[in-house]
Amino acid sequence: MSVSWTPVALTPDLPPGGAVPVRAPWGELVVWRSATGRLSCFPERCPHRGMRLSHGFVRGEMISCIYHGWRYDTAGQCRKIPAHPDLEPPAAIRVHSYPVAEAGGLIWIAKTLPESAPPETGAEPLRSLVIASPASAVTEAAGVVPGVPGPVSLPDLAAPLILALQDMGEETAVHALITPADSAARIAASRALEAFRRAVEAEEIAA
Amino acid sequence: MTRDKRDEWYPVAIAAMLPPARGRDTLLLGEPIRVRAGDSGPQVETAEGRALPVTIAYGHVWTCLGTPGDLFPIPEAAQPGRRLVDVGMVRVKCSPLRAVENFLDIAHFPFVHTDILGSEPHTEVYRYDVRIRDEVDEVWATKVRFYQPQAAKSAEGGIETEYMYRVPHPTCSVLYKTSPPMPGEWDVIALFVQPLTEELCDVWPWMALYDDASSMAEMIQFQQMIFLQDRSILENQIPRRLPLDPGMESPTRADLTSIAYRRWLKRRGYTYGAQLVAA
Repeated sequence: MSVSWTPVALTPDLPPGGAVPVRAPWGELVVWRSATGRLSCFPERCPHRGMRLSHGFVRGEMISCIYHGWRYDTAGQCRKIPAHPDLEPPAAIRVHSYPVAEAGGLIWIAKTLPESAPPETGAEPLRSLVIASPASAVTEAAGVVPGVPGPVSLPDLAAPLILALQDMGEETAVHALITPADSAARIAASRALEAFRRAVEAEEIAA
Repeated sequence: MTRDKRDEWYPVAIAAMLPPARGRDTLLLGEPIRVRAGDSGPQVETAEGRALPVTIAYGHVWTCLGTPGDLFPIPEAAQPGRRLVDVGMVRVKCSPLRAVENFLDIAHFPFVHTDILGSEPHTEVYRYDVRIRDEVDEVWATKVRFYQPQAAKSAEGGIETEYMYRVPHPTCSVLYKTSPPMPGEWDVIALFVQPLTEELCDVWPWMALYDDASSMAEMIQFQQMIFLQDRSILENQIPRRLPLDPGMESPTRADLTSIAYRRWLKRRGYTYGAQLVAA
């Protein structure tokens, strides 16, 4: 089975004007959302001095590096170098732009554009959390594989949650979604997820 | 001129604040050393108990793992009327060379030291002169000008500040900047970096300022605030080591000092904390 899209965040966790760091299998990345809602995904390092772009700030339709204010548009082209306000940045100063998509309450990235769109989940975003165990251990406990959201029944919950796993090497991000539920049910689900995380991590230590 | 990194002097303590007799364990170029107050002044020794050379200069205790030469001069340290400020130590998870390079950079002022050392829209870096002075084997940048909302603790409002930068040592830099209370004179701010490893350093800023109004605590606090802002950058650059190969980063005209610094490091063969091959 080939996994093409990687889920990296829940939709509400990256509002317009936000930027988040992402650990992809092929490197460190930043995913950001412009003021009008456009998503972009670049390598994490600013090509000028290597600063993490996820520490930068989004201004309108551009992301600005926090170190020297170099501004990149949604396609990755550098549009502004504040130290030289009259200079049109050369076309060569640009960052690579990776495919990024939004579907099923999740934000997805890929190294190259996959043939099909990322899957729908039919559920609402609940929360993301990081488990300090490799994806194989989470898969063994949950029965879902990275990149393919699937239902997982947790103890004490009436309905299964939809979990999307993101393989981050030593750690695994779990993006959880829930079928429409009231706030008490969401809180219960969140606690059940915490218990799941502790159980997986404890299993890892025991093994 | 190449010189072994072990033959350089490095700062390891503030002379006026020596660790107690038991000493303080630290690292120099990856080697464990212990710094302590001895009967006749500071003592530094290796883990095996080998006594290392010690000298005291510019408020700090300096040591050397190999055969030291002369420490670089800062003539202004002896000028009357200046307040000498030992700012203290800041540990930074970065290459010692990245710490020096950031110190040489002015273009980041409006973004990292917002409304203090710089502010938008005053972001332009004007042309300045950079050269390697072969006669002293130092990098010098001169005629550097920048608009600053609050150039120093002693500044009362925005001024266009003039700077000179000097790199006399691979992990130390000295800057000269317009003194807000005495515009005809230069304040001196130095950055002495102790390389613990290639990716970890202790930074010891030191100043020789014309400022009769601020308390010592205020001057230290101002400089520490500035340096802590820098630290948030330094610990988040990728890679942690300073790339010396062109091609990995894209400098512009504003980066002439750092370009010269990198070239000078290469020429001296100082690669501790440098990344030589693009990863």
